[in-house]
Amino acid sequence: MILAKKDLDQALGILSQDAEVFVPIIELIEDKSGIKEPAFEKKFMPYFEGAAVGLDNFNTVKPPKDVLFPNVEKLYKYKTGENAYIQEILPEDKPKVLFGVRPCDMRSIDSMDKVFFTKEYVDSYYAKRRDLVTIVAIGCLDTQRTCFCDSMGIDPNDAPTADVMMNVTKTSRTKACPVTGCTIPEDDGSYILEARTEKGQALLEKIKALCTEDGSEEACKDTVCKLKIEKDPKLDEKLSTMFEHPIWDKITKGCIGCGTCTFVCPTCYCFDIDNENYGAEGCKYRCWDSCMFSDYTRMAGGANPRPTKKERLRNRYMHKLSYFNERYGETLCVGCGRCIENCPAHLDISEFIEKASKVDADAKEYSEADFAGKEAR
Amino acid sequence: MSVKKDNNWEPVILAFCCNWCTYTGADLAGLNRMKYPENVRVIRVPCSSRVNPQFIIRAFQKGADGVLVCGCHPGDCHYATGNYYTRRRFMLMKRLLEYNGIDPKRFQAKWISGSEAAKFRDTVIQVSAEIKALGPNTKFVGTYAPQNAVEGGQE
Amino acid sequence: MAYTKEQIQEMIRQEAKKALATGEVSAVVGWTSTRFEDRTKPFFAETESECDLLVWNEYCINGTAKYALDDRYPEKKLAVIARGCDSRAINRLIQDKQVKRENLYIIGVACDGKDNPICKECQHKNPLTFDVLVGEEVEEQINADRFAEVLAFEKLTPDERYDYWAKQYDKCIHCYACRNACPACNCIECYADQYRTGWQGKAADREQNQVYGLTRVYHVGDRCIECGECERVCPMDLPIMRQTRKMLKDINDLFGDYECGLPDDRKPVLGEYKLEDPDEFM
Repeated sequence: MILAKKDLDQALGILSQDAEVFVPIIELIEDKSGIKEPAFEKKFMPYFEGAAVGLDNFNTVKPPKDVLFPNVEKLYKYKTGENAYIQEILPEDKPKVLFGVRPCDMRSIDSMDKVFFTKEYVDSYYAKRRDLVTIVAIGCLDTQRTCFCDSMGIDPNDAPTADVMMNVTKTSRTKACPVTGCTIPEDDGSYILEARTEKGQALLEKIKALCTEDGSEEACKDTVCKLKIEKDPKLDEKLSTMFEHPIWDKITKGCIGCGTCTFVCPTCYCFDIDNENYGAEGCKYRCWDSCMFSDYTRMAGGANPRPTKKERLRNRYMHKLSYFNERYGETLCVGCGRCIENCPAHLDISEFIEKASKVDADAKEYSEADFAGKEAR
Repeated sequence: MSVKKDNNWEPVILAFCCNWCTYTGADLAGLNRMKYPENVRVIRVPCSSRVNPQFIIRAFQKGADGVLVCGCHPGDCHYATGNYYTRRRFMLMKRLLEYNGIDPKRFQAKWISGSEAAKFRDTVIQVSAEIKALGPNTKFVGTYAPQNAVEGGQE
Repeated sequence: MAYTKEQIQEMIRQEAKKALATGEVSAVVGWTSTRFEDRTKPFFAETESECDLLVWNEYCINGTAKYALDDRYPEKKLAVIARGCDSRAINRLIQDKQVKRENLYIIGVACDGKDNPICKECQHKNPLTFDVLVGEEVEEQINADRFAEVLAFEKLTPDERYDYWAKQYDKCIHCYACRNACPACNCIECYADQYRTGWQGKAADREQNQVYGLTRVYHVGDRCIECGECERVCPMDLPIMRQTRKMLKDINDLFGDYECGLPDDRKPVLGEYKLEDPDEFM
């Protein structure tokens, strides 16, 4: 089915009638004192009328994972003493639509599904949210300079597991986005929508009236990532022998130990459970946790098996590139480039992948100077 | 500010009182049978400089409508210099809270000595009247606080 | 004669090599190039050949002083390439007894402003403390209206101010990048990491973000060197400097002109008192 770009807002409006539609919105934040430049909204937000939808723009800073796995999720509330009670808080029943998910993010949701559904345990909170979500993926028309998903085995044009796949048509002319500078279709452009599942079929039924059928239209599917990295196809096995490799000392030196990479990562799924009390009343919640924090592995007595940033960052990289392969058979890094873009210390997982692919796994010494082509300007 | 004017509403005021001056002053007020509003909840601290500025934010979150920090007059500190630090800290804290939108009346500091029972009474009367006029605090209130609690079984 | 960037870069490399050659220095902290032209990253040069990877250009933005805290009891010195802001940060770290001067070897280099908006407001481009100075000093500028933003913001009504900050703190994702990048945040263990104490919960919701945001701002109040790292590293673009500058403005108003990290002997504002301080609490 073909949906014209000018009808997109109307389609989103129809969908939001009976579901909460999450889209990447380019909201220009108005600053009252007029000092700071307007900024983009950096996450998937519920659609509202008049919202500036940034469907073809670059990846959101905050991944769409928080629709399925919220940053803070209340589990139950309670009261002690007189009139004591425990009351479970369940995710709401309202169906949701995730509109405009990139293929890399779709793949990350697949990985999260594996974590929360397989190995004999189903996370009921995640499962409930996942069941209610219909995902409309969009093939990338333009990629960011930090995008390297095709080097990680993901096609930036296609998300096979999405409910609906959406691509810009080949005949659409393109222009540069005035806000972000990336390539977007002209206002008279259009999208091809293709349902992949029953949920997707049901979604397309709702906006059928706005769409046309044109068999001659083809999807634009020739996007390639701007960042190409050379990855050893057996890197996961290689890394599992490199736990004590000197490369870890070197590459982790610059890390400042914040949790930015884990919170902007679409596949980081670690959480912690804590409670907040108000006198006799309180609430139990679960929230995102980060393996980069000191208390992540701290034991009750104060001992910490990962005492410094070296051990923590090693764990993060190993988890992404090796441990997850061992358990689920795929790499957890999807190449979305968010951590590269947002790391305060400009650490680069793609650089690590390349270096780790090249180094000798048994080396006793490691020097950055060994990497040719890394000559300083 | 949206004020829920409930006739039965009484403000909750947290008073951090230094053990050596203000707490003694409050004690004296009691011995003299002075009357003051019961809105104030006294927390005894060894010195007014014990009060971490974070206590104030936390107090607002946990449901206080006003916070009062009281200590010895400068020069009278039991620990010689504690309240001089308090003075610097809370002058800054007061301005920072104001900058973040808290009415300056909601956070007050006062020097009250052990013999100033009347001043303690007057301060409490004045502060609670001021906060009563302002209405319940709606800023910095915790997301899980009972007044913000989720109703029913769903989020 | 002014040096070009390439000349300074070469001199930095030479100084780094010299420092390593003394055998007293374990590594030189500077910047190296990344795969992106307009970006450098902090880098520890530990061998002579690695010194040739150090770069000096307008993209050397990251602060280097904070890395002095990575090892608080080092066997050897750590050499730090320090611009004006880094040297102020180091001064303050020394004053706070977080690092020892004798554990540092400071390679000072005058900064001509980086590709970072905050650098336009810089009042100390020249390093204030150093063992060796690379290149020559540059002319300093006085930034008379560094509090203009704060003054403008103060004019809003209290409710507008609260709503503004509430909206900002709603965006915060609790990644602690501002804390970890900040050279003034030098506690061995941050209060925010002590979850069991009840200081602060772990959730990234408005409540906890407000506690964290205000507590951190207050805590670094008289330590802020205005390097702007907090704001630069924030993935959600919170205007953190607007809060820290407010603290600095009040400190200046109430207790006299104050800038931290200068090589004078002035004690930290919140670590001292004067009998004649203004008193509002009588």
